[in-house]
Amino acid sequence: MARLTANKKVLLADVAGTTVRAMSGSMVAYQGQVEFKSAGMGGGGGFRAAIRQRVAGESISLMECTGNGRVHLAYQAQDVTVINVQNDTVTVESEHILAVAGELKLDVQFAGLRGMTTGQGLATTKVMGSGQLGIVSDGPLIGLEVVPGQPLVVDPDAYVAGLGNLQMSLVSGVSWRSLVGDGGGEPFSLRFEGHGRVYIQPAER
Amino acid sequence: MIDGIETPTWDASSLPADDNVNPYAFSIALAGEWFVSKGAMIAYYGNVEFAGVSQYASRASWVAARFSSPLYASEWVVAAGQGKVIVADRGYDVNSYDLDEGNLTIKQTNLLGFQTSLELKQSIVPGFVTLIGTGKFLASSNGPVIFVEPPFRADPDALLGWADCPSPSQHYDHHWMAQSFMAGIQGMFGRESGEERQYDFTGAGTVLMQSSEQLRVDGALMKLVESQTNLLDAQSAGALGHRLVQRSQQQ
Repeated sequence: MARLTANKKVLLADVAGTTVRAMSGSMVAYQGQVEFKSAGMGGGGGFRAAIRQRVAGESISLMECTGNGRVHLAYQAQDVTVINVQNDTVTVESEHILAVAGELKLDVQFAGLRGMTTGQGLATTKVMGSGQLGIVSDGPLIGLEVVPGQPLVVDPDAYVAGLGNLQMSLVSGVSWRSLVGDGGGEPFSLRFEGHGRVYIQPAER
Repeated sequence: MIDGIETPTWDASSLPADDNVNPYAFSIALAGEWFVSKGAMIAYYGNVEFAGVSQYASRASWVAARFSSPLYASEWVVAAGQGKVIVADRGYDVNSYDLDEGNLTIKQTNLLGFQTSLELKQSIVPGFVTLIGTGKFLASSNGPVIFVEPPFRADPDALLGWADCPSPSQHYDHHWMAQSFMAGIQGMFGRESGEERQYDFTGAGTVLMQSSEQLRVDGALMKLVESQTNLLDAQSAGALGHRLVQRSQQQ
């Protein structure tokens, strides 16, 4: 089975006759016999996912790394975190997905009108099943708990991932950057309610 | 089941009160008002309202007295209410500083927030603002902040700010001065080979430096420079425009 290990800013992907899907162009080095090819439509999610992504504007471009050996993956010297998923679902912003290993399915989750102005995507990527997910963040992730009665509001450009039973909604009354006139800003914020955890990065995309 | 994420998790009550969450993020325990730079907020819990400085000033007259920089009013908001607000900037180091009956001048793009007990004024040096009074403020730096005592010469890119009363002046290497006046003008518009121009600090105080700087676009800086071109007559303004066009074509 393919295995992902985080080593600060590099993600090590060990393949033994197996396949890891990784962000296109993220390979910085490899050892052994590994072949790289485009994962195809919808980041390997198939035709349906590709169509949905086209509609949603949530873009993801993955390559398949197959063979025997170790692949070193990195993206702009960002921090790497490996998430182990066991029959569960994680929501991740597509541009933070560095690698996907095991039986994980990627799909698009619509989230309303979010990101209409930034092109941040109308939707996020839902990762379901069992396996490992390598994600990148600009600076260490900050985990924030959401419990009933304690909603959390997040800048869409700092949002990285979410897990648990979360309801995501848009707040337009609060604006982060473009309150008055100039500056192509983000007029929406994300509001999370329910029970779960949200991960943000200490930087804006 | 999901595991493997080792990063600490916080909630509204466990988040630090007026302290760093990690070296790159700071949690403000809001009970009242703070001035916050627009791009700096990344998340919040609680009942917090954000309003543009000029918008808020129409409701609360003290704001105009505290924030006397119309140029930057559109880059700042007033956060009002109760809760925890997390601020961060491009993944840079974020630190809080306490000013006690003092004054400190800082690069506007590196100032993330300050308490309303402090007063903000525009510095004479373009792109810098001065904080006066007693209170807490938050600033970001690319790498840890280095404190230096004058006399000292600083590279403008790495200069973060200065406290108390060292007086900054521009310093040019003498061979640069010896060149033609036109070369000097070109230098002012960025066509310089590197380190000819420095800020020279004399007097008593502290100079704050960062290890490097990636320039962030400061919308207000352009307005400031543009307003200063009023000093030029029509002919020199035309020549300046011509030179700027040339420069943008080179890049």
